[in-house]
Amino acid sequence: MPNSHAHTTSVQVTKLGSADHVKTGAELMAENPYRPWPARITSITDLTATEKLFEFRLIDERIRSAFHQDPGQFVELSIFGVGEAPISISSAPSKQGFIELCVRRAGRFTEVLHTMQCGDVVGIRGPFGRGFPFEEMKGHDILLVAGGLGIAPLKSLINYIHDERHAFGKVTIIYGSKNPREVMFRHQFEMWKHRNDFDLHLTVDNYEEGWDGEVGLVTKPFENLEVDAENTYGVLCGPPVMYRFVVEEMRKKGIPYDRIYMSFERHMKCGMGKCGHCQVGHQYVCIDGPVFNYWEAKNIQGSM
Amino acid sequence: MLYRIIDADDLPSLIRAFMESYEFVAPVKHGQGYIFDVIENPDDVVLDYPTTIASPKKFFLPSEETLFKFDVAENDVSEFELDVKPRVLFGVHPCDLNAIERLDSVFLDARYSDPYYRARREATLIVGVGCTPTASCFCHRVDADEAPRGYDLFLQDLGDRYWVSISSVAAAEILEESTHLREATDDDRAAFAAATHRRTAAFDDSIPNVQDIAMLMDTYHRDPFWAELGSRCLNCTACAAVCPTCMCFDIKDILSPDAKTGERVRTWDCCTSPEFAQVAGGHNFRADERGRVRHRMYHKLNGFKVKHGSMLCVGCGRCVRACKTNINPIEVFKFFDEKTRTSAVTTKEASDAE
Repeated sequence: MPNSHAHTTSVQVTKLGSADHVKTGAELMAENPYRPWPARITSITDLTATEKLFEFRLIDERIRSAFHQDPGQFVELSIFGVGEAPISISSAPSKQGFIELCVRRAGRFTEVLHTMQCGDVVGIRGPFGRGFPFEEMKGHDILLVAGGLGIAPLKSLINYIHDERHAFGKVTIIYGSKNPREVMFRHQFEMWKHRNDFDLHLTVDNYEEGWDGEVGLVTKPFENLEVDAENTYGVLCGPPVMYRFVVEEMRKKGIPYDRIYMSFERHMKCGMGKCGHCQVGHQYVCIDGPVFNYWEAKNIQGSM
Repeated sequence: MLYRIIDADDLPSLIRAFMESYEFVAPVKHGQGYIFDVIENPDDVVLDYPTTIASPKKFFLPSEETLFKFDVAENDVSEFELDVKPRVLFGVHPCDLNAIERLDSVFLDARYSDPYYRARREATLIVGVGCTPTASCFCHRVDADEAPRGYDLFLQDLGDRYWVSISSVAAAEILEESTHLREATDDDRAAFAAATHRRTAAFDDSIPNVQDIAMLMDTYHRDPFWAELGSRCLNCTACAAVCPTCMCFDIKDILSPDAKTGERVRTWDCCTSPEFAQVAGGHNFRADERGRVRHRMYHKLNGFKVKHGSMLCVGCGRCVRACKTNINPIEVFKFFDEKTRTSAVTTKEASDAE
C-alpha cells in the first residue's frame, strides 16, 4: 500500500496574471524571494561621466504598494540574460511608488544598464537589509560624511532628513570627491548651499578651474567643526580606505562608538543571508547590515 | 520518542516498502569508496559504511539548479515549474543529520524561507543510522556526534536486530506495515548501551578538545599561522564540494543558444575561490589565501555559531580526506591547543602580533 504521506512538492514561477488576484503583494513577494518583479525605468539623469541616477516604478500595483524601504536598504536589480546586482536605494521612503538607484558604470552589468532607456523594463526584488536607525536618530544632530559613490546609499537618508527636517537637530553634510567632475547631485547641493538648516561641505581632493567649493580630503572640514558629541549621530559611507580615517575624526570629536553608523559594500548575491558572498566575520552584510554601527564593526573580524 | 526493535531480516522488507512510495537514496559502494545514490535493488544498500565521499546535501541543494526561466525581449520571467518527487534518504550518519539541520536553519529561516530547498526538504523522509568512527572523524570535537532529531527513523545496529527510534507518523506507518516491531527488552537496552560505548571508545582522542574557540578565533586572528595555512591552499574548492554544511552559492543567468530565452541558475560556490568576495570595480575584500582560508575556518567554527548556536562543522572528516594540502579544522584545533599549552612568553608574542 503506497504511503499516504508520500507527496510531491513543487515550486512554480509564473508571470503575474489574473489568477494571482487573490494574493497580496506581500504574499507574492514572500512566496519566492528570488523572483524579480518587472519595473519600468521612468527617468534617467546623468550625474557624472560614469554615474547615472535611474528612477524605476514597479509595474504591478500590488507589488508596488507592498514595497516599503528604509533609508540605507538595497535592492537586487535584474537584467534578464545579464544577471543581477545589489544596488543601494538613493531615494527616500517618502518618494512613494518610485525607486531611485545611483549606478556607477563599473562592470558588465552596469555597462548594460547604462545603455538602457526610459521605458525599458528591468526586474527588482527587495528591499533587503537593515538600514539606518532613522527613528532613533530623530531629535539628534547628524554629521554625515560621504566619499565618492558613498553618497548613493547616504542619499536615501539625506533625502529622508530633508523631508523630515524639523525632526532633526543640526545637520552637517561633508561630501568629498576626487575632483569637481565627480561631484554627484551637484545641482541639488548647490541649492542647499543657500539653506541655513544644512551645514554643507562639498570638498574635492584635486582643485580644478571653476571649483568654488572646498579643497582637501574628506577629513579636512573636521578641523573647524563644532560637534555636540553627546547629541550627535555620525554617518559615513565611502571607499574602503576612507572608513578608518573618518571614524577616527568622529571619535576625536567624542561621538560614542554606537552612534557612528556606516554602510558596508559587499557583493550580496541573494540578499537573504544564504549565498555567503557578503559574509564578514560573523555577520551577513545583506541581512545584519549593510548599515552597522562602529561598535558592531569593531566586533566583526576583518571588517575594516 | 518511540523506540522499537526490528529483526535484521526485516530490513529488506522495510526498504522495499519505502521504494513503493518513494525514490530511494542510500549509501552504495562506488569504486574504492561509498556514495549516496538513487537505487532500485535493496541488496545494494550498505548500512555499515564509512563516511561517503560527498555528503547528501546535493539532494536538497543540487550543485546546479534552475530558479526560474525568463524571456529576454519581455525582460520578465516565463513559466517554470519544479516538481520534487517524494524521496527517502536512507542510512544517514549523525554528522550528516546534524549538517542537514544546519542547512535547515539557513534555508528554512522564518524571514526568507527558500522555496526550492523547502520543496525538496518537505518531500524527503530521512532515515538515520548509527556509525563507527573512521580515522578522520572528529564529530566528537564539534558537538555533532549525536543527532537527537532531524530524522524520521534512526536505526542502531545491534547485530541480529536494529534499535529503531521513530520520529514521524509517515515512517511509523511504513515500519508497522513492513516489519515485525516489538518492544525493547532489558537485553536490547543493554546491547544499545554497549554499542554506544564501543562507538565512544572508537573516537580518536588525540584530536585536541579545544575550549573557548570563539575567543581564540578572535584573539589569534592575526597570527602568522593563518598565513602559513593559507599559503598551502590551491583554491581547488574540493573542501566545499564534499562538505555537508557548505551552502554558499552563486546566482547567474544562462542564455539559450538563440539568446532569446534563458534560465537563472544557482550553482555551488566556495569562499576559498579567489573572486568570492570581489565587488564591482574589482576591489576584493579577501584578496589572498590567508584571508580566505581564515574566513572559511572562522565562519565554520565561530561565526555561524554566534548566529545559530552551533558550529557550521559537523566533524565528518570529508575535507580531511579531500584537501590535498591538509587544511582542515583539526589543524586549527592543533594550533590552538599548542598555543594555549605553551608558555606565557608565546602568549605575549601573540598579543604583540595583534
